Amino acid sequence: MKRREFLAQTGVGLVALSPPLLRLRRWGRAAPWLMIPMDDAQAEHLKAYGVTYRLLERGGRAEWLLNYRNGSFLLPSDSVTERDAALVGVTVEPMDDSQVVQIRGQIQQDNMDAVPLEKAPKVAVYAPPNAPPWDDAVTMALNYAGIKFEKVWDTEVLGAKLRLYDWLHLHHEDFTGQYSKFFLNYAGSAWLVDMVERNRATARSLGYPSVPAEKRAVAVAIAQYVQRGGFLFAMCTATETLDLALAADGVDIAAAYADGTPMDPDASARMHWNEALAFHNAQLELSPTIPVYSDIDGHQVNSPDRRQPLGSFTLFNFSAKIDPVATMLVQNHRQVIPDFYGLTTSFTRKTLKPSITVLADEPGAPWVKYIHGEHGEGTWTFFGGHDPEDPQHQIGDPPTDLSLHPHSPGYRLILNNVLFPAAKKKELKT
Amino acid sequence: MLASSILCGAGHAQQEGMSRAFELERRGSYAAAAEAYRQILAGQPGDVAALLGLERALLPIGRTPQILPQVRAALAASPSNPAIYGVALRAWAAAEEPDSMRAVAEQWARVAPGDENPYREWGAAALSRRDRSGAREAYTLGRERLGRTDALAGEMAQLAVADSDFVTALREWLPAVRRLPGYRVTAVATLGQAPSNLRPELLRSLDQEEDFTARRLKAELQIRWGNPLSGVRTLEPGLPADRSKAIEALRGLLDQLRSQRSREALLAQGRILEAIASRTPVPQGPRLRLDAAQAYSAAGDRDAARRMLAGLADDSSAPGSVSSGAAMTLIGVLIDEGKLDEASRRLATIRATVSAEDFADLQRRIVLGWVRAGDLARADSALAGDSTVEALALAGKIRLYRGDIPGAIERLKAAGPFAGDRAEATHRTMLLALLQPIEVDSLPELGEAMLLLEQGDSAKAASGLEKVAAGLAPEKGGAELRLLAGRLAAAAGKSGDAERLFRAAAVKEAGGAAPAAELALAQLLLDRGRQSEAVAQLEHLILTYPESALVPQARRTLDQARGAVPKT
Repeated sequence: MKRREFLAQTGVGLVALSPPLLRLRRWGRAAPWLMIPMDDAQAEHLKAYGVTYRLLERGGRAEWLLNYRNGSFLLPSDSVTERDAALVGVTVEPMDDSQVVQIRGQIQQDNMDAVPLEKAPKVAVYAPPNAPPWDDAVTMALNYAGIKFEKVWDTEVLGAKLRLYDWLHLHHEDFTGQYSKFFLNYAGSAWLVDMVERNRATARSLGYPSVPAEKRAVAVAIAQYVQRGGFLFAMCTATETLDLALAADGVDIAAAYADGTPMDPDASARMHWNEALAFHNAQLELSPTIPVYSDIDGHQVNSPDRRQPLGSFTLFNFSAKIDPVATMLVQNHRQVIPDFYGLTTSFTRKTLKPSITVLADEPGAPWVKYIHGEHGEGTWTFFGGHDPEDPQHQIGDPPTDLSLHPHSPGYRLILNNVLFPAAKKKELKT
Repeated sequence: MLASSILCGAGHAQQEGMSRAFELERRGSYAAAAEAYRQILAGQPGDVAALLGLERALLPIGRTPQILPQVRAALAASPSNPAIYGVALRAWAAAEEPDSMRAVAEQWARVAPGDENPYREWGAAALSRRDRSGAREAYTLGRERLGRTDALAGEMAQLAVADSDFVTALREWLPAVRRLPGYRVTAVATLGQAPSNLRPELLRSLDQEEDFTARRLKAELQIRWGNPLSGVRTLEPGLPADRSKAIEALRGLLDQLRSQRSREALLAQGRILEAIASRTPVPQGPRLRLDAAQAYSAAGDRDAARRMLAGLADDSSAPGSVSSGAAMTLIGVLIDEGKLDEASRRLATIRATVSAEDFADLQRRIVLGWVRAGDLARADSALAGDSTVEALALAGKIRLYRGDIPGAIERLKAAGPFAGDRAEATHRTMLLALLQPIEVDSLPELGEAMLLLEQGDSAKAASGLEKVAAGLAPEKGGAELRLLAGRLAAAAGKSGDAERLFRAAAVKEAGGAAPAAELALAQLLLDRGRQSEAVAQLEHLILTYPESALVPQARRTLDQARGAVPKT
């Protein structure tokens, strides 16, 4: 489906959703609508996404009011939703029909739009079977908001089970198969030994000669999932390594400790960037001891000589009526957000393919933070960094407790991505 | 003459150049500073200060390898200067040239045979690039070349720790500490991280060693791993006869104990201080005995505290602060022992030597002692004359124990939030919340129950509170009393009684006590593993009492019950 068709459908959806619901409650005593404001009036920004998601899960429909009070949600009022919001502390404002009409008028006139949300997307998180529950920002956000998800790993991905899901999240996986390049520096650490053993066993059981070969096959399967219409959201080092693995078709980019042969010294020149989703023309890091993959990452957190300090990133403004997809992904009550490190923190502008959409950048810096693009029938979104509320994240740090950050603008960006497929569900069917 | 003035002029220019380079570096103009240092080195290739300056300036701009031409020239000009070799190693490390690092280290070793530094610096340069295998190669080769099995042992130990190989780390740390005792602190700190399943094996390895170094290491590790008395028992028999060495070893144990506040830790602290005191002459000795007495007293070992204080309180030769401190500690011990008359007598004798604040504090402890002994009349009379807010708070409690509800409320309110510490202020607020709904003027049964609680008999107190609650409507204090009784039952592990009492308190007409009872009930259910019932209870609380101040806490508990946030 082209963007024009999508816009036409969402417009139809908006018209189709409203009148019956308006009629249903018009003569009832209770207000027929519930507005979930997403500006500073909201007491629990992150859980608001959960309330909306659960309504969709129950078969209800909602509207996402893009740019209206920082991306508020309009829900038909019912006792279950009211109870749900009260339990989790989400601020709701009852609205009568005339108020809603007034809001729609404002939306019509300004850079705003109302996008119907139709079906709760089925969410999968790519994580090893024994991954700790609090080491992945998306898992934490989903748990905190109360959005159900299932975990998948290499066996499921290569077993074509991704078809069962609308949305897939990747976090700090190393798709080059080099164990985040920690192999030499953390040799002997129990967690690394465990990671290496598990990955080697999985590669063996799936019939691959090495972990890098198996991880590349996983990366290709994920790209095919997007090609077929899936929604991919990746953070941290999964962004960079997924693209490196895709582009390394027939090129040895893995160190000897991972596949038994040293990395091809001409790897950078031999990469097939046309197979990558977001990046091109990157220079690969040749040293196996430096936990850096390439110059895609602007911050190079694990290279003492190249490490760049953290600044803040700014979300772009898009036209809600013309570009609703990008607008959905940047809905937020803050436009400028403090940056946070990850193994891949940011994406250098020089390595971005021209076709991608930049959603947020650090003005004046040679890198961007948050990008989006299309691949076949589906879309992908990459967000650099590990944990928006733990800017310096180190191995062994205590887990982030999101109840201490209920308004986190960084985590809101993650949850925008979870609801975004609910709006685009029709597109998947085409 | 001409030659010397030229030389003089060159020296002056050199100095000016250094000042300029320093200033550029200080201002953060690293590229310009590097250039300035280079100019100096062009004239004086062996100038170590300029070479180190160039290294500093290149580091923040990520150009360390660019120092290599200057390093080569410096080595040619001054081939025996160790500082230049250090810079060379770091530069080759930054350039990721391990073979050159090795060559430089070997060259350095040739000019300084028998020195560990070439290998130590080589290893450190490798580690700066997180290259642990390179560092290991450097240390192993160094050990081989130097022909000493204990060479570079500290470095090898730290590598082993980084690999979580604590057995090897211990084997390396022992010779390292023997050669350089200053390593002991790092050795204990790093070995202290060993997982608990490895600890017995490490302690057994130390048992096989004969010397005092091993014994001391073992004692400090035992303390660090939570066995302070075992640590003291390990060290004491082997203490050296030399007084200062013995004291130094004992003080090492005290350092390890600093962050521990358990009873066993306090006892160990008392024993160590006692041992130090016995080796320390006047005037420090008596002060240390007092410290030991205070530690024993805090640990509840009154006999040991008395032993330390014997003679000290009445010793006219001891410094004034020591004897009054000893007297106060002794009074504290007497109060804890219930010897209140003797405590009062001793307090009267030191009135002139202690501050008014310390005197009043001890006097109130005696009052509290009478209260706990159940003699409210003596408590009242001991308190007479004390007009502080702390005394008002105490008087309020005595009124309560007499069953005089309005009198108790009046005095507790008057004491306000500033008397005593935060825990006491919170306790007072809790008492006020408990008493204010009660409209009865005299309730001696409640006084008795609360006095039992003060005396530490929480089981009888809970049963007494429940009986009093039965005669009061929920909104007139009945619910509050049941809630308190329920909390006491829960703390005593009587979860059945606690649940019954919380449910009885969680009635709508109970006002503020109802959501508190529901939250306590939910927590109890969670502790008993009854997750779904707890969730239902928390949901009921949030939806029924949306305005309650406890709702945020209920929501957080709900999040934890559902696994939405990590348990902290």
